Amino acid sequence: MDQHTITAIDADLDGLSHAVAAMGDLAVAQVKAAIDVFVRYDLADAAKVVRGDDALDLQDAEIERNAVRFIALRQPVADDLRRPIAAMKIAMQLERAGDLAKNIAKRVGRMEAAASEAQAASIAELGRMAADRLAAVVNAFRERNAQGAYTVWLKDTEIDERHDGVLREIVAGMVSEPSSVSDSTHLLFIAKNLERIGDHATNIAELVHYQITGQDLEDRPKL
Amino acid sequence: MNAQLEAMPETAILDLPPEVVKLAIKDLNFFYGSKQALFGVEVAFAANAVTALIGPSGCGKSTLLRTLNRIYSLYPGQKATGQVLLDGEDVLAPRVNVAALRARIGMVFQKPTPFPMSIFDNVAYGVRLYEKIGKADLEARVEDSLRRAALWEEVKDKLHQSGLSLSGGQQQRLCVARGIAVKPEVLLLDEPASALDPISTARLEETIAELKSDYTIVIVTHNMGQAARLSDHTGFMYLGKLVEFGETEQLFTNPVTDRARDYITGRFG
Repeated sequence: MDQHTITAIDADLDGLSHAVAAMGDLAVAQVKAAIDVFVRYDLADAAKVVRGDDALDLQDAEIERNAVRFIALRQPVADDLRRPIAAMKIAMQLERAGDLAKNIAKRVGRMEAAASEAQAASIAELGRMAADRLAAVVNAFRERNAQGAYTVWLKDTEIDERHDGVLREIVAGMVSEPSSVSDSTHLLFIAKNLERIGDHATNIAELVHYQITGQDLEDRPKL
Repeated sequence: MNAQLEAMPETAILDLPPEVVKLAIKDLNFFYGSKQALFGVEVAFAANAVTALIGPSGCGKSTLLRTLNRIYSLYPGQKATGQVLLDGEDVLAPRVNVAALRARIGMVFQKPTPFPMSIFDNVAYGVRLYEKIGKADLEARVEDSLRRAALWEEVKDKLHQSGLSLSGGQQQRLCVARGIAVKPEVLLLDEPASALDPISTARLEETIAELKSDYTIVIVTHNMGQAARLSDHTGFMYLGKLVEFGETEQLFTNPVTDRARDYITGRFG
């Protein structure tokens, strides 16, 4: 039985979920766009990605405002309470993932030249993994799919391992060509930002699972 | 491995460790004439704790409360089967002295029911009935009861005015004072705050929270927030059956049964 006797409660909750899913789509788009401007070394589009982050900040603030209003006016319990709490926390994670995408775009603007083809491909692959993870948890949230969130959560070491490999490649590049140290430092931070976007996807997976089941994934053994 | 994929159980009743149990209810059935109102209720209530009973109108929560001190036996045609064990002794056994039982298990009703006598006598009445007690001791008992019911400061200068002169919230706290003056072990409260304004309700809830250290308290309430604020354990009843009983925090954050979840979140059809 999913309908509340007071139907406005369903409307409020559905509105919150729609807002979070839409924000998630925008965060995924920002991450993909940041990777794209990096690979193409497109300074004009990089500036657009930086400006695009403002929308995520506004959405985060609105979701928080609506969640607080819902809690204050409806005094929800059980899963009705978990939904606004999770919405606020997921929005915060998405906002941070958006900040990291913005930082990547900013660093592209500060680089002296495009990355080498090999380095660009390597970082783009890391970026694809991060964007895919984020897109997968946004979908799990939209479909209220605890199993889907759990699957994303289980794979959180993949991106860490890939990140370690990318770091080794960048450091090796710095050693072989010391003149590239300035741009390579930007690459290190870009890779780190992508890895952290993956961490935010993991956090969101935990929140989606909590929202649906009321249980923390952290209590479970990793398989 | 994943909680979402496990089916929710039909009923979920928490077993309390025997050392904390004050009242143990075993296979309790109740009948209003031929109409059965409780079906095989099996649960235990902890000492020095507040247990809340919630559920839609007609679910049997007040009926369950009324079996605990046999108040139902005032009415012809009402019958309970099974056991209600107070410290291991069956309250429902025929040989039980019902008057003595009600001194051990006090009750406060939905509407304040002060006697048409002074505030002092309202509280002293039951004490005089059950105990031989000197004047000074009686006065001390009345004061102590009124203090515990958080009413003393408001009535200490007018103890000999009629209990009926008090406001609704004060009358209800007077009834609590009257209930605890005979030093019961268990206090049953049937919707005690339903006729009170928010301030009086808060005072009564504060009183109940303080009384918990000395009494076993069972409260029937329609007010979900009140059950959540006040109680250590909550039982959810539906159609004469106890559907879910557990820690209040668990029941209000992550209920185990669909029915309890639907009720507390307002999804009931």
